Amino acid sequence: MLIIVLLKGVPARTTQAVQIGGVLNREAMELVLNPHDAKAVEAADFVKRRAGGKVVALSMGPDMKLIPLMKPLYDAEVSGVDEEYILSDRKMAGSDTLATSYAVSLGVKKLVEMHTAPIGELSAEIRRGGYSDTVKAKAAALYGANLLTNRVYSELPSVRDSIVHRFLAGELTPDAALAELAAEMERVSKFIVLSGVKTTDGETGSVGPQVAEGTSELLGKVIPHATYVEDFDVDPATWTLSSERRIGYLSQKLEMKLPALLTVAAEYRPREAPASWAKEVRASNYKGKVLQATKWTADDLGADPKRLGLAGSPTIVGAGIDIGKPPVQKKVGESLVFLKAAPQMELDSKKYGPYSPGDLVQGLPGPAVEKLKSEGAVGAFTIEMLAEELFR
Amino acid sequence: MSGESKGVWVYLQHARGDLTKDSLELLAAARGVSSKLGQQVVGVLVGSGTGALAEKAVAYGADSVLAVDDPVLKDYFNLAYADAIYSLVSERKPYILLFAANEVGKDIAARVAFRVPTGLATDNVQLAVEDYNNPALGQFKNLLIQIRPDFGTRLARIYTPRHRPQMATVRPGSFSPLDPDPGRKGTIEKVPFAPREYPARVAEVRDLPPPVPDLAGADVVISLGMGILKDGSGNARDPLEAYRYAQQLKETLERKYHLRAEIGATRALVYAETKGLEGLIGKANQVGQTGATVKPKVYFAVGVSGALQHRVGMQNSAKIVAINTDPGAPIFKIAHYPIVGDLYEELPRLISAIGGGRDA
Repeated sequence: MLIIVLLKGVPARTTQAVQIGGVLNREAMELVLNPHDAKAVEAADFVKRRAGGKVVALSMGPDMKLIPLMKPLYDAEVSGVDEEYILSDRKMAGSDTLATSYAVSLGVKKLVEMHTAPIGELSAEIRRGGYSDTVKAKAAALYGANLLTNRVYSELPSVRDSIVHRFLAGELTPDAALAELAAEMERVSKFIVLSGVKTTDGETGSVGPQVAEGTSELLGKVIPHATYVEDFDVDPATWTLSSERRIGYLSQKLEMKLPALLTVAAEYRPREAPASWAKEVRASNYKGKVLQATKWTADDLGADPKRLGLAGSPTIVGAGIDIGKPPVQKKVGESLVFLKAAPQMELDSKKYGPYSPGDLVQGLPGPAVEKLKSEGAVGAFTIEMLAEELFR
Repeated sequence: MSGESKGVWVYLQHARGDLTKDSLELLAAARGVSSKLGQQVVGVLVGSGTGALAEKAVAYGADSVLAVDDPVLKDYFNLAYADAIYSLVSERKPYILLFAANEVGKDIAARVAFRVPTGLATDNVQLAVEDYNNPALGQFKNLLIQIRPDFGTRLARIYTPRHRPQMATVRPGSFSPLDPDPGRKGTIEKVPFAPREYPARVAEVRDLPPPVPDLAGADVVISLGMGILKDGSGNARDPLEAYRYAQQLKETLERKYHLRAEIGATRALVYAETKGLEGLIGKANQVGQTGATVKPKVYFAVGVSGALQHRVGMQNSAKIVAINTDPGAPIFKIAHYPIVGDLYEELPRLISAIGGGRDA
């Protein structure tokens, strides 16, 4: 199964975020991987142990910054990610969630096509009635490029029953081989996309569901999603996924047919993968890892430039504002307040008061305040007065 | 396009046969916006047998309600609900569409926004209507100003000038529901739903116990921050001691004033997984942007510095008492009762002052 993990590079310290016109300049600051994404990597590792396949990390942002951040993921968890792809292009700079989701959806589509197309090429080779040498050479090259599963072709000593192996040994007719390849094509198109529930910079949580919507549009079929998934299992025999999430005071179990997208909550803990499925897992696995990240530009993705970057972003971030008005404050031991009620007084034909106990002494002329002090009518605000008025 | 789109739409979430509190807050938010625009507030209900809910929505501020009612919509299901809302939006073109920023609102709003397509400003804490001038794009009259926490230390204004509807999610707790007026008149229109095949289904829905503590419903919240790890002289302290003081304050308030008090915490303290506080302070205690938004009668911020992410979750509290050793702590900018000092001295003093005197 193609297991795609979405990752984002976020500012290491939010206070040092460099913004130009409300847009983060990711090239100018220290980035870290979004902490919420660690759960998606854990979940991907589980899916690979459960169903086999390939874990592919997909990110978007400046490739020079992201490559070193993503490198350690090859060794993450039990088996780590197998391949890394970075969508990097100035045309994508300034993307809001809509434009980001569009670009990421194109990336997902390209990954899916990249893994189904080789099966098509091999099928064409067989259909052409090609000599066994050409079929074998084609299969070996695609397997070497990490694009065919062990089920199709394998150099593992433990796998002797790949489709190509049996075809070349005369155990499969061309039609039978083509039927098995068609089934494999179907299997590979049952991908799963995993992401963190949100990022620590934007905190929107929108990109996950929007990538489900974006891939639905681009692939022409509904890709279901579940957000804040706390637990899930994949059944590779039926290509269904069962997920559990909390909605307020309810827990909802959603059953989905693959392909599907999940955002993985902090509460998620991977399940045990049953050992009984080990042979199938191996058959669905690919040759190994590609330890060098691949960069894709807008042109590589065949993107519509009007849907990328600032042009493709409906939202605009305006000037920041400070929150809240400074409240009228009473400081214990400092603020001068009335200790008892005082009637209205007239000083220099201006009226002040009347005052209740606890009222701040504000705006009264100095001499009047001194007089009130000497009379014991005003004094410092005490913790007892605070206790009294808090719950009055 | 903007010329013809009209109406301030609100997605009305419901659970257990009633509108959620978040929905009532959204109606209040929408009324504020609609009064400035001179447009109607339209509630959008999706479900099965929602007639009584539509009437309740009118009493709480909706001018009309569009009820997509079908037995297949009985349980919340993101794909079907998004389809129901999208088809109404594409047909009737609202000016604004609001959702609560919770598990359901964010789930549907994101898909609908992509499909329209339009922008989606999430987690707004305020909404306004203003004209907007952009040198590159032109002038826009009466735009929805979506105000949400920024990455840094402030709030940001988000504009969606060129696309309709302007879509936003609103943080629960940011607005107060209006007083219901059973005499308010509004139209209720039933809208049919055209079900289709989905590659997903709701297999099971189970009740979960309410979160403990229920911060949002508390009269008083006593929040602890990283400041509890040290006293005024900078010596390390057992944070359990501060927790016990908070517990003592909570019990005092419950006994003396019959108020429901709960203990909260900052994200920093929750994530620090402090030794001694295991099982006492967890995710359910967290107040702030990624935790609960609270609006109690009295909020105690004990050893809380007051990062923006914390303040957006408690700034609307009626009275804020803050105890901190650092006079420059940002929490003091919004506290009504700043106490600069050692919490290990000031908090016990405050508790004994509150606990003294006759019981109410």
